[in-house]
Amino acid sequence: MTPGKGGPVLEVRDLARCFGGRDGRDDALAVIEGLSLAVAEGEFVTVAGPSGSGKSTLLNMIAQIDRPSEGTIHLRGETILAPGKADLNPGWNCQIGYVTQEDNLLPWRRLLDNILLPLRAQRRLDADARTRVAALIETAGLTGFERYYPHELSGGMRKRASLVRTLAYDPPVILMDEPFGALDAQTRTELHADLLRLWSLKRKTIVFVTHDITEAIALGDRVLVLSRAPARVVDEYRVDLPRPRDVDHLIAEPAFARLYESIRQSLARQAPKARRA
Amino acid sequence: MRIVVYRAVILALILACWQGASLVFGAHWIPAPAAVMRAFWLQAASGELWYHARYTLAAAVIGFLIGGLPGALLPFLIRRLATLRAILDPYLIAGYGAPKVALTPLFILWFGIGLESKVALVASVVFFLVFFITLAGLDSVDQKLIAAARVFGAGPGLIAREIVWPSAIPYVLTGLRVAAPYAIGTAVVGELISSNRGLGYSIQAAATNFEPAKLFVGVVALALIVLVLNAVLDLLEKRLLSWRPTGGIAERAQTSF
Repeated sequence: MTPGKGGPVLEVRDLARCFGGRDGRDDALAVIEGLSLAVAEGEFVTVAGPSGSGKSTLLNMIAQIDRPSEGTIHLRGETILAPGKADLNPGWNCQIGYVTQEDNLLPWRRLLDNILLPLRAQRRLDADARTRVAALIETAGLTGFERYYPHELSGGMRKRASLVRTLAYDPPVILMDEPFGALDAQTRTELHADLLRLWSLKRKTIVFVTHDITEAIALGDRVLVLSRAPARVVDEYRVDLPRPRDVDHLIAEPAFARLYESIRQSLARQAPKARRA
Repeated sequence: MRIVVYRAVILALILACWQGASLVFGAHWIPAPAAVMRAFWLQAASGELWYHARYTLAAAVIGFLIGGLPGALLPFLIRRLATLRAILDPYLIAGYGAPKVALTPLFILWFGIGLESKVALVASVVFFLVFFITLAGLDSVDQKLIAAARVFGAGPGLIAREIVWPSAIPYVLTGLRVAAPYAIGTAVVGELISSNRGLGYSIQAAATNFEPAKLFVGVVALALIVLVLNAVLDLLEKRLLSWRPTGGIAERAQTSF
């Protein structure tokens, strides 16, 4: 792995995660094995992999809501997670944000209350924070919907709210697990643009997991391709497309097409053996 | 509107069947609706109905509170104590399954034939119902919401207030809702077995004196009490669950027409 400018902010070394195999049984299923990656300050890394390749498991471990079987995770050189380490510390003291597949908004709280909840939890909800949140809500196009309950909003708006909720408390590293997976193509494209706009305001370090190649290229500085389970990083592509990117017109560029084809072939090699023969 | 009309039609049908049965089997066995309504009015006007009803209501409400409050609160206390839950589990299941009505003679022995024995009986029934439904609600809290909240720095207190409690409210209310008619019914059974007041006593006395109309008055009064109680709980639920997309059964049925 070649982290860009500066040392890596987030580093994963030889990570492994097995499921099952308890009670002395010998059928442990390795979902991840020998996975290493490093992410530089302010870098937007996308991780593409076949379904079932442990992408969510990887992010769950970085976010510390799951524990690795082997390997370590480091944040700015500090070991934040190792197999023998005591209790998990989800979010590592709010240093690592996590936007999950489901929006995980509280159904009984209005949009604004949902977005402010992390700040309230961290006792950082002051006038400044409110102003910042209002600006984020504006950028995400959610102004006017602050008093709505999640079920009264569209899927795209809920995603935006979930994104803004994490951006609002400003964690230096943000993990995203196919956050736009369940949306229609049009809404996805809009949200890609929104995400890039929000990201350009304050260059967060982002690890974005997806199975969509277009999305991986359109958003990322670098695309990592995972093998099928047990997953590790098999290929790495630098995305040299200029920013700010116009997601809508990106697809027409020759550089995009070349990159798309390389990544597609890389992923195809990860298809089950039977289909390759 | 449609629902009200259909409800009226069903009420008319019930009354018609009732009237028909009364004609076929004789008013001595099944008094006609009109006769029951007359008796109802007489008893209500003389204050006799309210005299008995308020006794039954007192037993039901006090027992409901004494059993319902710990039934709703205890699950919150033992929610995270897995070992204690495992230890208590068989006793709670046994307590839930044991027919509490069979304990009535014992309660009468301990508390006498007055209000206290009915209160104890009602509380013992209500407690287990509310307890188990609330516990099931706490177990069904969406763990993903909790994981997400922990990632953004929520402590146990905030998680309990913002996630666990709001997700459990519908279950607590369901528990109370299921328990409410049981509270009334159990109080009546207690009175049937041994009492000198209450609707159960009144029904028992009417049967002994062969006054079927009076007996029916007691049953109708109980049905009305349960309906009123349900309406009150409906209001409470609407207030507490105002965030929910749909309200009561009626609203949901209407949208599906």
